[in-house]
Amino acid sequence: MIASKKIVLLGHFGVGKTSLIRRFVQDIFSKDYKVTIGVHISKKEVLISENKKVSLLLWDLEGHEDIKRTRPSYLLGTHGFIYVFDLSRPETYKALKTEIEHLKTHYKNVPIKVVGNKMDLVTKEHIKQNADVFDDFVDFFTSAKLGSRVELLFSKLAKELL
Amino acid sequence: MTLDTYKKNYHKNKFQYLLTNHLAVILESDDTLFVLEQKTALDDVHPFFESLLSLFKTKGETYHFSCVNLIVKGKDVIVDISIHNQDGNKNLVVIEDLTNHYNNYQLTAQTRNDSVINSQILELKNKYLLEKEDFKNTFITNFSHQLRNPITSIATFCNIISDTNLSAEQKNYLHIISSANTDLKNRIDDVLDIAKINSGQLILTKDVFSLATFLDEIVYEYKSLAANKNLDFSAEIDTKLPEFIEGDKFRLKQIIDNLMSNAITFTTKGSVGFHISLNYIRANKISLHIEVTDTGIGINPSDYDLVFERFAKIESPIQNDENIGLGLAIVKHLISEMGGNISIESQKNIGTKITCNLSLSTIPRTYKEPKKTASPKTFNFARKQNVLLIDASELTQLSVLKTLALEGNFYLEIVSNIAALSEILLKQEFDIILLSNKLGNHSAEELIKKVLKTSRDYKDVPKLILTPEISSTEIKRLIRVPNTDYIKTPFDKNILLETIYEYLKK
Repeated sequence: MIASKKIVLLGHFGVGKTSLIRRFVQDIFSKDYKVTIGVHISKKEVLISENKKVSLLLWDLEGHEDIKRTRPSYLLGTHGFIYVFDLSRPETYKALKTEIEHLKTHYKNVPIKVVGNKMDLVTKEHIKQNADVFDDFVDFFTSAKLGSRVELLFSKLAKELL
Repeated sequence: MTLDTYKKNYHKNKFQYLLTNHLAVILESDDTLFVLEQKTALDDVHPFFESLLSLFKTKGETYHFSCVNLIVKGKDVIVDISIHNQDGNKNLVVIEDLTNHYNNYQLTAQTRNDSVINSQILELKNKYLLEKEDFKNTFITNFSHQLRNPITSIATFCNIISDTNLSAEQKNYLHIISSANTDLKNRIDDVLDIAKINSGQLILTKDVFSLATFLDEIVYEYKSLAANKNLDFSAEIDTKLPEFIEGDKFRLKQIIDNLMSNAITFTTKGSVGFHISLNYIRANKISLHIEVTDTGIGINPSDYDLVFERFAKIESPIQNDENIGLGLAIVKHLISEMGGNISIESQKNIGTKITCNLSLSTIPRTYKEPKKTASPKTFNFARKQNVLLIDASELTQLSVLKTLALEGNFYLEIVSNIAALSEILLKQEFDIILLSNKLGNHSAEELIKKVLKTSRDYKDVPKLILTPEISSTEIKRLIRVPNTDYIKTPFDKNILLETIYEYLKK
């Protein structure tokens, strides 16, 4: 029997949570932004090693400026978090430290991956300039549009969950 | 029909009730929304339930999930779901279809989020543009300031050479060098003014000056220039104008210079005119009406707005390489700062009339006309005066040295770095200190503090700051202190000497 793991994607609206899931699950991308309301749940099986699979249940939550506004029931039984922000919009990462600390305090043993998405819209210089914010927290810089490091993000988290 | 019959026809039940066991296997379903067969495991129906299997094993709890997007058997719905633990390891699952309600919410959220994201992006673009503009202005300002020292030196040495024995040909060459240097200075001043306008740092000063003398000088200057081009010149000055007014004399001159220069440049025959009259005096404000007329090449009405744009040069049969196209843009801004307006009336090949109205201030009641002072040269000092120059620029050092040396009244000591400053101040006494507005990383304020720290005796010694920038907050603050003043660079040797003599005689 394949183990199922619930992964919740959090972050401001418009940062690309839905796009990351669509890229990972269906390998597609749409430039049109459609607001997610409530929650969409997708599922994808990931091969962890030669004989080992895990079923990822991906909860794509409606985006909020403040993580504390997330409906608590959505987070019940979460095995892993992916916190996504938009590298091209500072508003989406200005409270990154507070947001991540809140998650770490309230979900002590749940792994968190912090993801700066929309890498295709910024320069390496921009990332260097914000190194003081990014260096301490960010695990992955991704582009859902180009598909870069999306697969790696989910598979790395999946491995940590087993 | 009975009420029940009506209800059956019109009421659409939106609740589905399911009974499951503790493994989320369906025991009963009323199939209102979806047809779900008995013994089907809910985790096979949708990954939502698969994620929550553990909740079906709890006891006495109720869990509520709102706004869950489900696709069940091809049906796309947005529902609220609650799971109620019942006795005997059973669970009641209630699914309420709220698709219409949430779709409306979705539309609102879409509009709000689009708007927030767009405004954030606009703000970022704006910030980026401002930073770019700021960088450009800083670059222009720094670069222009760098050019001022060599310009000062050229002007100073042209002055010095002009007092030596020169042949007519040499005098002519010197005049060309001097004129070219003045042009260069004017162009740099225009570029600096535009940079100041862009960064909101062009601030008008308020000084009392004689309007009568000011206008006499204008008339004298442009009468000569018009005569050089064989143009008639007419001037009308309203007799109702007060003798003294308060305002930025330098900027008023800049406005009139630009308008008059253009009139003379673009007129090859006929006349140019300068007319100034009083609009009104009200609540300490004096409104002036200025007209500059010419019989020159004229401007097409379609170009009226263009002439006030930066770097705009409209097509003209008269070559005017001296104009880089900033003058009228600056004039328009200055007039606007003076609460006025400017307009053009023109006919091609007939002539142009530029009219402007602007406001200055009447003089304060407490103002007393300064007594005329004797020419600096008439002062005889009992001994030679000790001057200290604190400036790292070799060109400035040489300009000041040559200017003072020709007077024969001064000893000059020069300090090029902060380390040598204290030493020389302790070793020697000075009657006046000239200091650069910047020495290495040290500002004029820091240099003055350093001087005063060495000895409080220097509190009463005049300190003249050599600065290209007189509108900066720091310079304004410094020159409010008694015995502290500025000399604008590039300086004219006469202004330098007059200012030094004026402070030494106090």
